[in-house]
Amino acid sequence: MSRNEPWLQTNWDWRAAGNFIGGGSGTGLAILAALASIQGTVYWPMGLIGAVLVGIGLFCVWLEIGRPWRALHVFFHPQTSWMTREAFVSALLLPVTLLAVVAAGPFLAMPTLAMGAIWAAAVLAAIYLFCQARILHASKGIPAWRHPSLMPVIIVTGLAEGAGFLLISAAFFGGGPAWMQVLLVVLLLGRWLAWRKYLADLTQTGAPNKALAVLHEATPLINIGGHIVPTVLVVLSLFTGDFGPWLAVLAGLTAIAGGWQLKFVVIARAAFNQGFALPLTPVRGTGQAGPGDKPGWNN
Amino acid sequence: MGTSKKFAQYCYQCVAGPDFLTVKVEDGVATEVEPNFALKDIHPGAGRACVKAYGLVQKTYNPNRLLTPMKRTNPKKGRDEDPGFVPISWDEALDLVADKLNEIKARGLRDEHGYARVAASFGGGGTPTYYMGTFPAFLSAWGAVDFSYGSGQGVKCTHSEHLYGELWHRGFTVAADTPTSNYILSFGGNPEASHGVMGVSRHADARARGAKRVQIEPHMSVTAACSAEWIPIRPKTDPAFMYGLMHVMLHEMARERLDIQFLRDHTGSPYLVAPNGYFLRDEVTQKPLLWDTKRGEAVPFDTPDIVPALEGSFTVSGIEVGADDDEWRHEDIQVQTAFDHLVKQMKQYTPEWAEEICQVPDGCIRRIADEFVTHAQIGATTVVDGMELPLRPVAVILGKTVNNGWGGYECCWGRTLLACLVGALEVPGGTLGTTVRLNRPATTRQASVAPGPDGFMKFPMNPTDKENWREKPTARNAHDTLVPLSANSPWSQALGPTHLAWMWTKESPENWGKVPTPDLWFVYRTNPAISFWDTKSVTERIADFPFVVSFAYIRDETNHMADVLLPECTDFESTQLIRVGGTKFSESYWDHEGVALRQPAIKPLGETRDFTDIATEIAKRAGVLDKYNNAINRGAGGVRLYGENYDFSLDTEQTHEAEDIWDAMCKAASAELTDGKETDGLEWYKEHGMRTRPISRLIWYLFPEMLKQNLRFEMPYQEQLLRVGKQLGNRLHEKGIDWWNKQLEEYEALPPWKDIPGIWEQATVNSGGSLEEYQFWLLTSRSMQLAWGSNSSIQMIDEVARNMHGHRAMVMNTGKAREMGIEDGDLVEIKSTLRSTKGRVALKQGIRPDTILIQGQFDHWVTPYSKDNPAPSMNTVVPMSLELTDSTGSSADIVRVAVIKLEGKA
Amino acid sequence: MTRYVMVADLRRCVGCQTCAAACKHANATPPGVQWRQVLDMETGTYPQVQRTFVPVGCMHCADPPCESVCPSTATKIRPDGIVSIDYDLCIGCGYCAVACPYQARHIVHKRDLAYDKQAMANEEQRFDEGRMSVAMKCNFCQDRIDHAAETGQTPGVDPEVTPACVNSCIADALHFGDKDDPDSNVNKLLAENQTFRMHEELGTDPGFYYIWDKNE
Repeated sequence: MSRNEPWLQTNWDWRAAGNFIGGGSGTGLAILAALASIQGTVYWPMGLIGAVLVGIGLFCVWLEIGRPWRALHVFFHPQTSWMTREAFVSALLLPVTLLAVVAAGPFLAMPTLAMGAIWAAAVLAAIYLFCQARILHASKGIPAWRHPSLMPVIIVTGLAEGAGFLLISAAFFGGGPAWMQVLLVVLLLGRWLAWRKYLADLTQTGAPNKALAVLHEATPLINIGGHIVPTVLVVLSLFTGDFGPWLAVLAGLTAIAGGWQLKFVVIARAAFNQGFALPLTPVRGTGQAGPGDKPGWNN
Repeated sequence: MGTSKKFAQYCYQCVAGPDFLTVKVEDGVATEVEPNFALKDIHPGAGRACVKAYGLVQKTYNPNRLLTPMKRTNPKKGRDEDPGFVPISWDEALDLVADKLNEIKARGLRDEHGYARVAASFGGGGTPTYYMGTFPAFLSAWGAVDFSYGSGQGVKCTHSEHLYGELWHRGFTVAADTPTSNYILSFGGNPEASHGVMGVSRHADARARGAKRVQIEPHMSVTAACSAEWIPIRPKTDPAFMYGLMHVMLHEMARERLDIQFLRDHTGSPYLVAPNGYFLRDEVTQKPLLWDTKRGEAVPFDTPDIVPALEGSFTVSGIEVGADDDEWRHEDIQVQTAFDHLVKQMKQYTPEWAEEICQVPDGCIRRIADEFVTHAQIGATTVVDGMELPLRPVAVILGKTVNNGWGGYECCWGRTLLACLVGALEVPGGTLGTTVRLNRPATTRQASVAPGPDGFMKFPMNPTDKENWREKPTARNAHDTLVPLSANSPWSQALGPTHLAWMWTKESPENWGKVPTPDLWFVYRTNPAISFWDTKSVTERIADFPFVVSFAYIRDETNHMADVLLPECTDFESTQLIRVGGTKFSESYWDHEGVALRQPAIKPLGETRDFTDIATEIAKRAGVLDKYNNAINRGAGGVRLYGENYDFSLDTEQTHEAEDIWDAMCKAASAELTDGKETDGLEWYKEHGMRTRPISRLIWYLFPEMLKQNLRFEMPYQEQLLRVGKQLGNRLHEKGIDWWNKQLEEYEALPPWKDIPGIWEQATVNSGGSLEEYQFWLLTSRSMQLAWGSNSSIQMIDEVARNMHGHRAMVMNTGKAREMGIEDGDLVEIKSTLRSTKGRVALKQGIRPDTILIQGQFDHWVTPYSKDNPAPSMNTVVPMSLELTDSTGSSADIVRVAVIKLEGKA
Repeated sequence: MTRYVMVADLRRCVGCQTCAAACKHANATPPGVQWRQVLDMETGTYPQVQRTFVPVGCMHCADPPCESVCPSTATKIRPDGIVSIDYDLCIGCGYCAVACPYQARHIVHKRDLAYDKQAMANEEQRFDEGRMSVAMKCNFCQDRIDHAAETGQTPGVDPEVTPACVNSCIADALHFGDKDDPDSNVNKLLAENQTFRMHEELGTDPGFYYIWDKNE
């Protein structure tokens, strides 16, 4: 049966979501690793985790594409395609991040190089994260993606997830700056606000009912699990002495989980397409045109 | 580099055809169907084919096709019996058939009850003829064949129209003169789905130029969608709406707004009606009388130089001739015209009265009546091919269910009368017939017109007088015994009450005699086990048939009971030449006539054989080869092989290959169309596809012929039917038959409204149901994609059909469904008092809350692909019964049902 | 300049799906993939209901979101306005499919057959491995349009160089031609009638016009 109302697109599935999850967390962490290096040292595990996350994300994309052995064609359209741009940035981001890792690591121990590389990686990561936000924005066929208010969500959740990983990395490998818990809370607050605004703006601009339903349905868990719980855990971690670092790890994990859930929901479940619409109905022989319809939309 | 060539073909899967196309063949494989652009200026549909033709490639290569003859090994027959078909050689298969035929011949072609031992069913409104090559010549050579086991014809066609339409204006099917019409009232007519390429394009052109069509039907069909206005009428109450219109026109409008001249001079309106309800006649000539205002006296209708009175009361003497020997002499009695009687009858049917019945507001009825009369432009004329004719651009068309079974008479009468009231019958812009099937000769409608004794067209009623009434029917459906209107042309058997054949083969009614099964049944391109009503019973009847020969493309529910399956070449593999053009079915109105060829574009798959070769072999083995060849020579294959100045007759003693037969047919057609100048044969047609010659557009209209023969349309007063009905009643009662009494009541001169929906409601109650439980009307509607041609087994057609909402589902009103807690896509059971069918619900706003719609005909249990894509079917739940059979022997696709929500999704 | 556009007359379309079937023939699309289809859209509430049949497919936008997002340049806008896909360049990433607001793009990863049993001869004959796992969509039957350059025929007028759906339309609802040619058939239709384009607010400048009434 032909479908007039928006339906869930299936071209991009969990694999595409994986790219936004890995890429967002990885670049967020890379950026924060550079910020953390302000204390004087580049902590290589942070860079490594970031690079691996980005790599996993890209691997997911490679799994998604229909003609994986033509993957290099992805570089052909930098003029307008944010996917090409993302690919170019990834081609620099991964080696530069790995360079920072290696330079900061025990074998080379070249702190100046590491410092330079991690800041370069941070800049590239920021561009990469921006590319990801723009990739969704350019997806004109998916109302829930193309809305400009989604871009801040993608960026801020990448950073929040990065902060989560920063806490975890610091707990295991050290090097966490003192402000990292506060930063996480600030980013979570930012994500909460951005998400709120996104939902409000999307509802107001108009979107497929089913997409809105999916987003609204997922929001309580995102808010509780991804915003309130990690914030409470961060606060608790500041006052619980020995348990503090572990609570911080938990806070980081829940912050990450919230971000990943959010992106999975947006990419894989709220990806209802535009559907079809009629501005008005035709005149058959005589009479007036009838009112149109945009089936399946909230307005 | 591969080879690629296009072959001209026709598609005649439905009566709206033939459509024309080319099929592209690449490296010997048919790949692509396209319109035949070369016919752009000849074919009214610009050489285009409808969606069904695009299914022919998949039909050809369907992996489920039967590619070798098969025979049954399990002697037991039934739905649950595995037929155990095994492949056999053609030789064995043909011998099996021939042996049976020879055995029958030895016993006599008719059994002890007078019924033909050989029966044949071809569905599709006669369209299988255009695929069965010279098989009709075999049937003709054979002799007695019973065609009365229907696949749907007679009960699911526009049956009332076929009979009454031919009676009143040689309209076996009836259409609007759409290219000229500006206002079309369509009571359930569905040209957008069922009038094919020509109908669709004509109506699209009409819309684009601003013509208004008002669609009156309980659900919003594609035709309603494409109309300017949709009026959701209560099912089966269309006559009430029409009578309301007539009341307004006859009692609320100034008389001058009607076409007085047409009524007076071209209908039976001025005929004087005597006290017993028959026309008052001249004592000497027995001709009906009318009142001549010029002379101030009653004169026979054909008196020259008269101006008849349309209305008035007159003192006249004369005789009145009733049924059988009834005759009355009247001296100086007061009589009125037929028109007066009509006016009087219509007085009671006010729009307010109609609203109560059909649930259409009285204001709407008044508005429509006004629009109808206004658009008629009474007085306007136009010139067609040099002849000035009235221009009356208003028409009324009827659809299936409106147009068959009880109520069909009223609707056809109402429609024809509405046209007469504004002079819009058979004139440009008006309501037109398309073709004749009961009257002869069938070459053109005009050719079939001959004067009857009363100034109307002669109609070949089956006799009802004592001497000539056929007490023993010639066919199992008893059309010639019970239905005078069905006439006795080659089409009549299939137009009789075809469900009676199915019903009575099981159990015949009182004082009727046994109706035995045929010894041999040929079945081709039809699947009554799916397409008839009460399909379970039909399947059981078929299982009783001792020997069934099915010309089969794939396995299906009907050939599940076959003894022999003969796989014939399908559309792109075989040869046939058919006649095209003129006026024919649905909305086929051409400016040309001629012949068109279907040719083998690819090599036949497997062991399939050209139908013509199969027919020849059967004729030969059954010992009727000479008669068969003779029949071909006489034209049983479509074209007579000899004429005034040409003769391509076949040697009757020889066996001829299909190619040679069609070559002769092509040559004869060339000669016929060019008055002997050209004799191009098969090769020429393979190259060119078609040969035509221009014809006058005047053949679209019957009015000029009526003028020429000085005839009147037999409207409004049905004196002939009244008499025929009375006589038929006498005959039946003499035989002790009273189970047809209800049907006899329908023979009325001016049909009054009767509670038509009530007949179905009563049937529901009589079969143990309550109207509260069975609260919905179940209707069906044609799908262009899936109607005819077994297309539900063609994946591509099924795929594109699903783009249209409601396919393979039950359509239900959204609001009503929600009240019942039913959501879109829910699984429901639709239950009549007979049985139930299951399926998914499609919720729509465009349907009355009291109505359910199931499009198409499904519930397959054998047909590959179809059986794996379940869909509900109304045929499963519609009963066959005498109670629901009208006097023409037809009933309608309608039944009261209950809707029950089931758990889970379909 | 040339810009080929499609004009669909909604007053005429009856939803017969002949164009959808003809397209499937012309382009040998696999089961379930329709480059041209006709929607059946119901609007209103009983008894005030309208039902409209709406042919859809690639709108050949002048500002096609699918083209700008395509990372491989497989999707291109030809000088004649046709949005085309180079199947040899396409990586099948699906980005174009999510960028298209008309749901016009299809990617098929597994060979589907009309009948599960076996491939039919016509399916074997026309199977194209090159179209597996890459984006596909209506290309206005571009081979025919290209053929016009050789023959001097006019797309939209001469059937040989006109998209299959237009050729097949039994209601004369579908029309095709050059919008930049002031004398073209489509310009005449656009001048005489009132039209809209779908999702015009998205700024894609679609090359698919819907006639809904004649000019006032």
